[in-house]
Amino acid sequence: MAVTVRLPGVLRDAVGGEARIEASGATLADVFADIDRRHPGFRSRVLDDRGTIRSYVNVYVGDTDARDSGGLGTAVPEGSEVMVIPAMAGG
Amino acid sequence: MTERLQLPAALRDDIVAHARAEAPKEACGLVAGRDARPTRVIRCANAHPSAVTRYTIDPREQLRAFRDMEANGEELFAIYHSHPATQAYPSPTDRAESHYPEAIYVLVSLRDAAPDVRAFRIRDGWVREVTLA
Repeated sequence: MAVTVRLPGVLRDAVGGEARIEASGATLADVFADIDRRHPGFRSRVLDDRGTIRSYVNVYVGDTDARDSGGLGTAVPEGSEVMVIPAMAGG
Repeated sequence: MTERLQLPAALRDDIVAHARAEAPKEACGLVAGRDARPTRVIRCANAHPSAVTRYTIDPREQLRAFRDMEANGEELFAIYHSHPATQAYPSPTDRAESHYPEAIYVLVSLRDAAPDVRAFRIRDGWVREVTLA
C-alpha cells in the first residue's frame, strides 16, 4: 500500500536528502523496512538496537502518535501520511 | 565566509518577550519562513520536566506547527530557545540534541540586563555562528 513519508530534519540525510518519499507497507514496520531496502541504514537511524522507535524520534500516522497505537505494529492505511519527526530539544 | 541572516526586529522582540515571560524556565519555539526569509514566530510549550535548564518543544505543538507551516506555504526557518542564566551559545546538550541541520538555531540569553540574541548552525556536533543583521 502506498503511503507518503515526510522527514523533517536530519533524517533526510538517510534517504538522499529527500523531505518526502513514497513507500509501501501495511504497518509502520513494513514501511520502514521498505525504505531501508532502498536506503540502507534508514532503519537504524529511526530504531534502536531493540528495534523500537528511538526516543528522540516521534512518528505519526496521520494525527496518531505511533507510541500510543502499537508502535511499529501501527497500521498504515493506503494513502496515509507518515511523519517521522526528530525532537527539538536541548539545554 | 560568514552566513548572514536578516531577523526583523519584530520577530526578535517577540522571541525575547517569550523568553522573559517563561523565565526562569527556558522558552522555546519555531520561526517559520518563506523563500528563505523569516515570516513569524510560533511559540511552543517547553515539555521538558526540567525546564529551568532543558527544553523539549512539545511534540504535539511541533506537529501542529509543521502542518500550519505547510498549509501556509512556509517552511521551518529557525528553532529558538532561551538560556535564562547563561550565555547565548549552544551548550553541549544543545549540540548533542540538535537534529535540524536545515534550520537556524536562535539562542536568547537573559543573563545580563540587555538580552543577547545570537544565531547558529549546528550539525554533527559542530557549531558555526550566523551573523544577525
